[in-house]
Amino acid sequence: MNRRRRRSTAWRALLVGTLGFFVVVCAFADSPSVTAVLSNSEAAVGETVQLQIRVKGSRSADAPEKIAVDGLEIDRTGTSQHFEMNNFNVTASVIYDYTILPMKAGTFKIPSQTIRLGSNALHTPELTLNVADSPGRSSSSRSNREAQPENANRLVFAELVVPKKVAFIGEMVPAEIRLGFDPRARPELVDAPEIAGQGFTTQKLQQSQHDLETINGKSYEVVTFKTAIAATRTGRFEIGPVKAKARVSVPRRQPAARSRPRSPFDLFNLDDPFSDPFFADPFGRLAERREVEMESEPATFEVKPLPPNAPPNFSGAVGNFAMTTEAKPKRVQVGDPITVISTVSGRGNFDRVNAPALEDDHGWHKYPSSSKFKQDDEVGISGAKTFETVISPNEKKPALPPLVFSYFDPVKENYVTLRSDAMPITVEGGAAPVVAALQPGSAATVVASAKPSPKPQDILYQLTELPNVAQSFTPIYARPFFWTTQFVPLLALLGLIGWKATQARRENREAQRIAALQHEMAELMRKLRRDDSSPQEYFSQASRAVRVKTALARNIDPNAVDAETAATAFDLDENERTQLRRLFERSDELRYSGAHNGAETISPESRREVLDLLENLRT
Amino acid sequence: MKLRKLIVNLCCAITYAFLIPSVFAQSDARFAKANQEYADRNFKEAIDGYDQLARSGQWSANLFYDLGNAYFRVGDFGHAILNYERALALDRHHPEADANLRIVRDEARALELTPTLVERYLKFANVNQLTIAAAIALWVATFCIVVLIFARRRSGAVIALSIVSLSIFAVAVFAIYELDNGSNGRALAIVTGMNVQARVATADNANSVLALPPGSEIRVLSNRGDWIYAALPNNLRGWVPAKSAEPVRL
Repeated sequence: MNRRRRRSTAWRALLVGTLGFFVVVCAFADSPSVTAVLSNSEAAVGETVQLQIRVKGSRSADAPEKIAVDGLEIDRTGTSQHFEMNNFNVTASVIYDYTILPMKAGTFKIPSQTIRLGSNALHTPELTLNVADSPGRSSSSRSNREAQPENANRLVFAELVVPKKVAFIGEMVPAEIRLGFDPRARPELVDAPEIAGQGFTTQKLQQSQHDLETINGKSYEVVTFKTAIAATRTGRFEIGPVKAKARVSVPRRQPAARSRPRSPFDLFNLDDPFSDPFFADPFGRLAERREVEMESEPATFEVKPLPPNAPPNFSGAVGNFAMTTEAKPKRVQVGDPITVISTVSGRGNFDRVNAPALEDDHGWHKYPSSSKFKQDDEVGISGAKTFETVISPNEKKPALPPLVFSYFDPVKENYVTLRSDAMPITVEGGAAPVVAALQPGSAATVVASAKPSPKPQDILYQLTELPNVAQSFTPIYARPFFWTTQFVPLLALLGLIGWKATQARRENREAQRIAALQHEMAELMRKLRRDDSSPQEYFSQASRAVRVKTALARNIDPNAVDAETAATAFDLDENERTQLRRLFERSDELRYSGAHNGAETISPESRREVLDLLENLRT
Repeated sequence: MKLRKLIVNLCCAITYAFLIPSVFAQSDARFAKANQEYADRNFKEAIDGYDQLARSGQWSANLFYDLGNAYFRVGDFGHAILNYERALALDRHHPEADANLRIVRDEARALELTPTLVERYLKFANVNQLTIAAAIALWVATFCIVVLIFARRRSGAVIALSIVSLSIFAVAVFAIYELDNGSNGRALAIVTGMNVQARVATADNANSVLALPPGSEIRVLSNRGDWIYAALPNNLRGWVPAKSAEPVRL
């Protein structure tokens, strides 16, 4: 029961977690946007062009069914939805496909369309379509498709789209390769596309999209590859063609010509290979897999040289860049390393972006830089290149000199030099800082003083003496000798403890004896103050009290005390001595001669006299 | 039985007493020979001679200093710095080793580890001196405590002495730990290879963290196969090929 409940709780938690994840993902999704793209900006009368309106960031929108433009028939032919996930960021988009049939020649403006997203309204950009009288001159893509050979090759096409026709040497120009396949041919790409030609370099091809498009009324699976091209020589030359190899299924031809029913896909009787009955009944006839070569039209490209008078630290970077710098630590000694982290970010040929240089490296030693590149796009022409350079000051310096980085901006068509601010640092030790302000005519002197202090060129002499005992790297606490020597203080400590303990025990015994005597003294005094004891007992107790008191005063045995010892101990006068002697004699007399020799009782005066005597015994 | 044991021990002691001077005499001869090779500018032979002595365990600051000089003469700055560091590890006030180390470091552009603030303040003593100070302070404190335990009357002076001794002991132990594990401690190693790069991972094609010229200081944090994970100059960390660096303390 418990297990079932626990499992149900776990499932619930998982569900809530998943929902939460999607809520968070959706919350972080981009805000809706709309784009409108023509499959071709040039067409001929009667030749269809596709218009695609893509609404990003929404799964449904309100797009027009028809777009009214005089001379063009624009009808919506399809709607599709796309979901993309990039770094856990899910983007939904809805695509509206329109077919444009030009009815007459001219230049047509397709006006901005309003796409409604709930209460929001988005507007597409205005598009221009040039329509020629008759087919003949055309864009690369159209000519490509028309150039495809009959039969199997009509199932596929290749396009090289280079939006920029004029560029500077080294400039990165983004390019797209589009490979289209008839989906019914079950296409399979055998060889990835390659761009033929010389005089340029290309970035690694990245497959970025796989869409279904309607071109000239036919559906194609279009695979788009992105790259970037950089020219390595100037002049006018051709890029491409793009070549690729694919494997497609085509119906096996019958040797004899025969009439066959037209394919429902072949609306315009274009000798579609899929008109073959094989596609109507795949199990009734045999198909064959055939490799087809795909080849695009080449693109012409004009490459201009970079202008002369490049900055001295220009390394061939072409594009648009920004630079940030950072140095640590800020407080060092002369000769200590400082790590300078400089980041060049932007768009361009990052393979030619070198580490920014010190504007004035006098008094600095620079070590080789290391670099990391983090690209922001698919082909690596946008991103940030971070350099770590270790430099060390050879002398006292008030600041790190500015770092400079130069590049050529192809838009502004001039060289740009980025310069960081001088970073204040503290360099301690070493030679004095160079005087910044120069007096006219004193340049030579200052240059001489700016040089680091001359260092001894050669090392010191050999030493020819060896110590008698070998030295050790082992720290002293790890050597047995150290721990052995600790026995000496340990033994001393044990001796001290033993001695102190014995002394304490001895002092304790003495204290016990004194306590016993004090206790006895108190008991005797208590008895002497009572009047119920016989004279023999009374004088015996009184003499004992004198002995005990003397023993306490002199720290001696009470049995060894006599009248003279007691009198001396307490420094008594003659009268008191006589009284003390009489007390001891009386006590001895009663003890040795018996109780009957004298009075039976003791007078109160005698008691008073004895007690006074005892109380007067003080040191 | 006891008498026999005593006789055996006595014989051993006499043998050692005669043997040790002969070992030192041999070492002196080999050292003199290596010095002669150095004087004759046969630096490779001198290196071999000093190296043999070092391998036999006859370590001394002067031996490593001379070995460093010989390596400097053949242009091997990494090993020269390593041996000067070894000489200073044995005798931190070795003036010649200190002077030559500065020269070679400047020549090689070797990077140094930055000592921490605590290490800078603790430079007045080495680990051995601090160990002795800690031991003395501990024993003084222990004796004071024993006296205080048995005394009938607690003496203020004894209490103060015990507190001061315990404080000295604690400070000394902290200092030993800091120095032993600091930039100039047991884990100090010197880059002896050429074109050494510290990398972010244990692979030759991994991104570089720092280029380490020969003679640069690193602090070994852990070993993994043929790679060392080390603290680098400028508060960086990275992986360095194990064969490219040698520990200072043998």
